[in-house]
This record gives sequence, C-alpha cells and structure tokens, in this order.
Amino acid sequence: MYYPEPTTIWESIQYTPLGIFIAESTWAFPTIETIHVIALVTVLGTIFVMDLRLLGVASKNYPITSMSRDTLKWTWGGFILAAITGTLLYISKTSSYMINPFFMGKMALLAIAGLNMAYFHFVTWKTVANWDTSPVVPTGAKVAGITSLIFWITIVFFGRAIGFTLGIYDCYMVGQGDDGFIVSMLAGIACAGA
Amino acid sequence: MGDLLFNITDWMRGTVLLDWAFWMQETAFSLFMVENFWNVPIAQAIHILSIGAAFGSVLMIVLRVNGMAGAGLTFEQTAARFVPWVRWGLVVIVLSGLSMIMAEPVRNMINAVFWIKMIALVVMVLVSLSWIGSVRAAAQTAGVSYVGTGGAKATGWLIMALWCLIIVCGRWIAYVPV
Repeated sequence: MYYPEPTTIWESIQYTPLGIFIAESTWAFPTIETIHVIALVTVLGTIFVMDLRLLGVASKNYPITSMSRDTLKWTWGGFILAAITGTLLYISKTSSYMINPFFMGKMALLAIAGLNMAYFHFVTWKTVANWDTSPVVPTGAKVAGITSLIFWITIVFFGRAIGFTLGIYDCYMVGQGDDGFIVSMLAGIACAGA
Repeated sequence: MGDLLFNITDWMRGTVLLDWAFWMQETAFSLFMVENFWNVPIAQAIHILSIGAAFGSVLMIVLRVNGMAGAGLTFEQTAARFVPWVRWGLVVIVLSGLSMIMAEPVRNMINAVFWIKMIALVVMVLVSLSWIGSVRAAAQTAGVSYVGTGGAKATGWLIMALWCLIIVCGRWIAYVPV
C-alpha cells in the first residue's frame, strides 16, 4: 500500500514499518488489544483490593504492608504489560490518537494517578508502621484510596470512549471555526506541521 | 480457524437464533440502548470495571491457595473477603453484558465466538464452584498454615486461564469474520 510522506512527527511514528504492520495486519491489533485488556483488568483488580483496604471498606484486619506485598507486584506487572501493548496500539494510529480528546484525557489521568500513587508511597507510606494493622487509616491514605478509585474508573471509561470516537476528530476537519476549545488545543499539538 | 468460525456463524444464520435476535432488536430496551451514543460505551466500561473487580478477587483466592498471598489468614478468611466480590462482580458482568447483547443482538447472537465465550463462562463458573467447595473442606483443619495440594493449585491457575479465555473471546467477537 502507498503511504504519503509524513508531514507531522506523529505521522512519522505511524508510518514506521512496525506501525504499518500493526495497522494492516488482520490479527496484530486485536491480539495486542486482547493482551492490553487482560493486563488492565489485572491492574484494576489489584488496585481495587488495595484501595478498599485503605478506605477501610474491606480486609480491615489484614495489615496494609501485607496487602501491599500481595498486590503491588501484580499491579506493576500488569501495568508494564498494559503500557507496552498500549504503546504498540498507539503507534498504529498515532495521528488519530493525538487529536482524540479521550486519548489525551486518558494519558493526563494516568499521569495524575501515577503522581497520586508516588505521593502515597514516598510521603504517606513513611508512617505506615503506626497504622499498618489498624482498621482506621490516616486521612492522607484514605484520600489516596478514593482518588485512585475515581481516576481508574474514569481511565476505563475514557479508554472505551477512544474506541468509539477514533476518527471523529481529524486534522483536515478542524479549524473550520466551530471546534470546541479542547479539540482546537489538541489540534495545535496533533496537526503541527500538517 | 477463521474459516471454521465463519462456517459456524453462517450455519447460525439459518437457525431460530436469527429470529430471536430480530425480536430482541425491536424491544424497547434494545432501542433505548442504541438511541444514545454513550449507552454502549458506558455499558462496556461497567463490564470491564466489574471484570476487574471479579478477576482481581479470583486472583487473590488463587494466590492464597498457592501460598503466595494472605499470609497469616485462614482460607476461610480469604474466601469471606473475596468470594462475595466474585459473586456480585459476576452479577454486574452478566447484567452489563446483557445490555450489550440487547444493543446489538445480531452481532452477538449470530457469532461463533460469542457462543464459545458463553460456554467458557459456564465451564469457568462450574469449575470454580466445585474447586472452592473442595478447597474449603481441605483447608478447614489446616488453619492459617493451609497451602493447597498440587491439584488445587493447578486448578486455581486453570480458572485464571479460563477467565483469560473468556476475555479473549469477548474482544474477538468484534473481529471474527461473520
């Protein structure tokens, strides 16, 4: 198949041999997507277990350090697999993802969820010895739990919304004057040089 | 593989399944599901979130049987924490799944992969029920030191594999040639 010369950095990613292979193959995209789903339900499931403990909703008498030891390696393993498969899906349609508000929103939420987790582990976690076996945890840990739940639920919704809206937004269609603020802003990133 | 699945789907087109699917398509609920652009994505997001809750809970039970989680807890304590989440998770999975079937009855009912998924789901539930019953009985006297036999551990991972197979089928409903 003929591909035009890339006019943006995103097109030059998309038109790499790997990007073209994933986009054209009948099995590559669905297979990678399936692995992405298995990885993300592992992340979700183990994060829910930890968040519910932090909120004092479940496993109240199980030490938080033990819960972290049980779940965290699965959360990270799943996350790394989801990130690798997600990147492979991304390079097959980079231009379309870059102008999609749900994709960009999902990436922003992932970054915020990561910061939330980092703050919990590097700051709140310092005093864990004081509340490890207590059913009641400090406010900081509860806030980490509830915000994590909200972020991940929203990330799943945005992730699903991407599949339903990919291709609705396009560099050739924006700039007609009736685009929303977010789409215009994203077009500035996604269509630069086009 | 693709040819075989296509032939099964093609055969389904000549059965009563097609009449059922057409009937479902005309129901008020089906029309409600398709009249708003966001109804199907919302149902799918709820489906994935409840799979996450149930899948994570099954994983914790399987890890406990393998002695890889729940240190210091009896199996009964682990089961009391996670089995309700699997059960209620499955209820939400089925309800959100039904709403997705009602939204696109022909796409789902006339699809070989959809029916393989349904069979795998029933097998997974039956294997899980029988497994949890036998593990409970074996774990009763062992207390916090309980670790499953080789067979119990392997069956636990088989159940995880069945969940993965169901997820694989779920995604491929959308891609299999029909």
